[in-house]
Amino acid sequence: MRMTRRSVLAGGAALLSYSMLASSALSQEARLRVLWWGSQARADRTNKVNQLFQSENPGVSTNGEFLGWSDYWPRLATQVAGRNAPDIIQMDYRYIVEYARRGALAPLDDYLGSVLKVEDFDKVQIEGGSVDGKLYGVSLGANSAAMMVNTVAFEEAGVDLPTPETTWDDMARIGAEITKAGKRKGFYGIADGSGVEPLFENWLRQRGKALFTKDGKIAYDANDAADWFAMWAAMREAQACVPPDIQALDQYTVETSPLSLGKAAASYAHSNQFVAYQGVNKDKLALNNFPLISKDAKGGHYRKPSMFFSVSAQAKDPELGAKYVNFFVKDPKAAEILGVERGVPESAAVREQLAPTLDELGRAMLDYVSGLGALAGALPPPPPSGAGEAEFALRTVAEQVSFGQLDAKQGGETLVNEVSQILSRG
Amino acid sequence: MTDATISTVTAPPPATISGRSPLSSTLIHAALIAASIAMLYPLLWMVSASVRPEDEIFSSTSLWPSSVDFASYVRGWFGLDVSFGRFTWNSLVIAVLTVIGNVIACSLAAYAFARLRFAGRNFWFAIMLGTMMIPYHVTLIPQYVLFLDLGWVNTILPLVVPKFLASDAFFIFLMVQFFRGIPRELDEAAMMDGCGAWRIYWKIMLPLSLPVLATAAIFSFIWTWDDFFGPLIYLNDMNTYTIQLGLRTFVDSSSTSDWGGLFAMSTLSLVPVFFFFLFFQRLLIEGIATTGMKR
Amino acid sequence: MAAVQDSAVAVGAGAKARPAAQGRLAAIWTKHGAGYMFLLPWLVGFFALTLGPAVASFYLSFTNFDLIRSAEWVGTANYVRIATADPKFAASLKVTIVYVVLSVPFKLAFALLVAILLNRGIKGLTFYRAIFYLPSLLGGSVAIAVLWRQLFAGDGLVNSLLAQFGIEGPSWISHPDYSIWTLVVLSVWQFGSPMIIFLAGLRQIPTDMYEAASLDGASKFRQFYKITLPLLTPVIFFNAVVQTIEAFKAFTPAFIISGGTGGPINSTLFYTLYLYQEAFGNFRMGYASALAWILVLIIGLFTAFSFLTSRYWVHYDD
Repeated sequence: MRMTRRSVLAGGAALLSYSMLASSALSQEARLRVLWWGSQARADRTNKVNQLFQSENPGVSTNGEFLGWSDYWPRLATQVAGRNAPDIIQMDYRYIVEYARRGALAPLDDYLGSVLKVEDFDKVQIEGGSVDGKLYGVSLGANSAAMMVNTVAFEEAGVDLPTPETTWDDMARIGAEITKAGKRKGFYGIADGSGVEPLFENWLRQRGKALFTKDGKIAYDANDAADWFAMWAAMREAQACVPPDIQALDQYTVETSPLSLGKAAASYAHSNQFVAYQGVNKDKLALNNFPLISKDAKGGHYRKPSMFFSVSAQAKDPELGAKYVNFFVKDPKAAEILGVERGVPESAAVREQLAPTLDELGRAMLDYVSGLGALAGALPPPPPSGAGEAEFALRTVAEQVSFGQLDAKQGGETLVNEVSQILSRG
Repeated sequence: MTDATISTVTAPPPATISGRSPLSSTLIHAALIAASIAMLYPLLWMVSASVRPEDEIFSSTSLWPSSVDFASYVRGWFGLDVSFGRFTWNSLVIAVLTVIGNVIACSLAAYAFARLRFAGRNFWFAIMLGTMMIPYHVTLIPQYVLFLDLGWVNTILPLVVPKFLASDAFFIFLMVQFFRGIPRELDEAAMMDGCGAWRIYWKIMLPLSLPVLATAAIFSFIWTWDDFFGPLIYLNDMNTYTIQLGLRTFVDSSSTSDWGGLFAMSTLSLVPVFFFFLFFQRLLIEGIATTGMKR
Repeated sequence: MAAVQDSAVAVGAGAKARPAAQGRLAAIWTKHGAGYMFLLPWLVGFFALTLGPAVASFYLSFTNFDLIRSAEWVGTANYVRIATADPKFAASLKVTIVYVVLSVPFKLAFALLVAILLNRGIKGLTFYRAIFYLPSLLGGSVAIAVLWRQLFAGDGLVNSLLAQFGIEGPSWISHPDYSIWTLVVLSVWQFGSPMIIFLAGLRQIPTDMYEAASLDGASKFRQFYKITLPLLTPVIFFNAVVQTIEAFKAFTPAFIISGGTGGPINSTLFYTLYLYQEAFGNFRMGYASALAWILVLIIGLFTAFSFLTSRYWVHYDD
């Protein structure tokens, strides 16, 4: 039996035959609704670009809406479900698969080369916006997972800052030294990253494994996960990282990380969040790659699209949408307005144009992402349906281990079991 | 007894219990003041956070900021595309309409449930309570589709019209409980004088229910003021945003947030509700006047 | 449900007095019409705005609706999964029941106590009432999340106070054994609404009853037991039922304080938070709808039970 959502509602709505009142106001000019998440600072830049786009495309009006991350998803889901989706949707790497596979996004392949001129993009980054061989999102900027380091706390403790060659063994030692130095009250070396998925993924990749296979299955085994948990258990034991009840304050947001709370000298995030982290931290921060499993390990990191613009499958004029997206990522004047606020631009020409104009923080981000070298490997396949739940499972199991409900070995088995189940449910 | 005598009954003093010793009075005040401090501490911290430097908000637990700066208030008020004055106005319009709608529509339904006899009364009462139990997240999308078909999305209609149709069962149930506390002899006396249901509702029930009507008004206002999920879904254009939506716009957990602005505007946003509360709670006291009457 | 006992004698009596010639219709109208007239706004709202979405969500609970694609009928699969194969359902239900059992009695007792204290005509009544209501003004504001961390994190105010007594407390808000308590405290802290309702109820008790009792020489304690409590039972009943329903449906506190995760280790995973995660995080609106209707069943049973027992202890004046 198959029924549409609307026919279900027909009963309720028809009772007062409301359809007469339904709005059908269609104006002559083309209207583009753009929805994104972010701060007012991002909105200021985006709105300016929208103005610019309007002035260069007479007869087109744009209408921007923005929300904070956590409010963004329920509103988007409701609008998509109600067939009232915005034309241009800012998409996250995690959700693009969910929306694309369900047919909420328009494939953009037809516009490649005509209105969408992304030839000078990194090939890999275009693939990053592809699902099942079709392009559903154009990357607005590259970033990579990164360690945020409180340089002042390191100095106070008399410890050298981490370098690209720092290994996990080094990090455990450094962490314990910072905690031991006791220069600040209730202060520890590093945040407990056992439940941080990008960190775990990075570590797996250095081992030659991954989170998910191409066909959406789990790509590591219980031993990998047990080793991971055991490594953190040792660091916890040695007080190299924060204790579990402090780590549990971390909601993986900028302001709740142990770094921002003044509990640890290093925490894990993404490079494009550098400005935000510096904003709530008094001490000078630095970016560093994640530690290595051994001196010659590589390929843990990867440059990934920080976010996309996608065109809604419900858009009246997808070509206009593609044109807008192209303007957003390619136009020199737009680029000047946008800067690196959404991550390092993908277009080589835009990067070149921007490089001399960046401030110190922007510079650091650009240098970090483009300087990863051999530390960065290939982009993993887009996360499968259920990836969000799998991330949640990692976090919960990591907490079970850190709070002592499970040992590392049990943790490894539990995690692999749960993730396998989640992925098979889809 | 007729209407006239009801409305002119004079008020005895508040329900003071005389002859209390100074000691017990002091103890009560001490307990109340201690409780007040516990109640207020988090709010004081919020005010203090609104004037302290941004990079100190999360790492310091002290109540005293290292320096005081009101820049957050200016930035908060003018920092978004639309000023907070606009949000305040939008919130006020919705809240006031909600108060009116709830008080009128819910008191009508409550009167029917509490006093009138009609077939199916218990059935409808149970259904009405049942509507309180459904988590709104699962009716959200069907409701959104309905309002979208009506062309009401991006207007305040989805937030206001249901209130005039007594959609909030909480208030109906609340009023039913209070209406049933009003002595039935009053209705019967009025009935003898030839009053119909409408006159009894208007001349006896409502005047005698000022405390609960004031309560409903206060809650309607405050809960509407604090609501964000409804506005989040139905108000898309920033010009139509309410205060709570405006506040949430300061925070983006994935990038930069303006925490100083959030706390400054959170503090300011308490001012109108607080005055609304102060004003309407007087009605709670005045309510004594009518309920202290002879029976 | 025996919620409203049939005691509207007055209206019925009016109908009897009329001559039979006016016909059956008129009699029916006189008997039932007024009730439906007063109920009309609610009925319109119910049929036009509430019923449709409710029926739709009930239907969706038998489908695999994922928010975007059309819903496909899956029979009772969602309910079967809830009953047999969903550990998070059991976990979240347990968290919710613990929350209901802890928060509702504490909140109501506190609200009643303060309301009685404030009803004694003491000086500064307005001031205290306003102060005690202030926390409730904040509602579910984002600011609460930060405030609560300031109080209940490892180096928060609570632990600073405990340190005065030589006790070293954990980070209450982020420890799986204690985190639910911080939500209970938040609920009790925002006790303003039931307090106001209690106050309004106390105000409705005619003062002459106390005067009569005083003349009879009844002690204040006796007056409280014999007059205040019985006359307040409809309001106590209301607060208990409504607060319990609200506590079962509680969403915002856990959502803002745990950042939507329900952590650590699902210790604050309220039922509706889990439902929300399923609906909007994991694109399983059909499954979430089934969860919702299970919750309606649970709350409904509880409420029906409350109404059944209410006839033994709730005193109505009518």
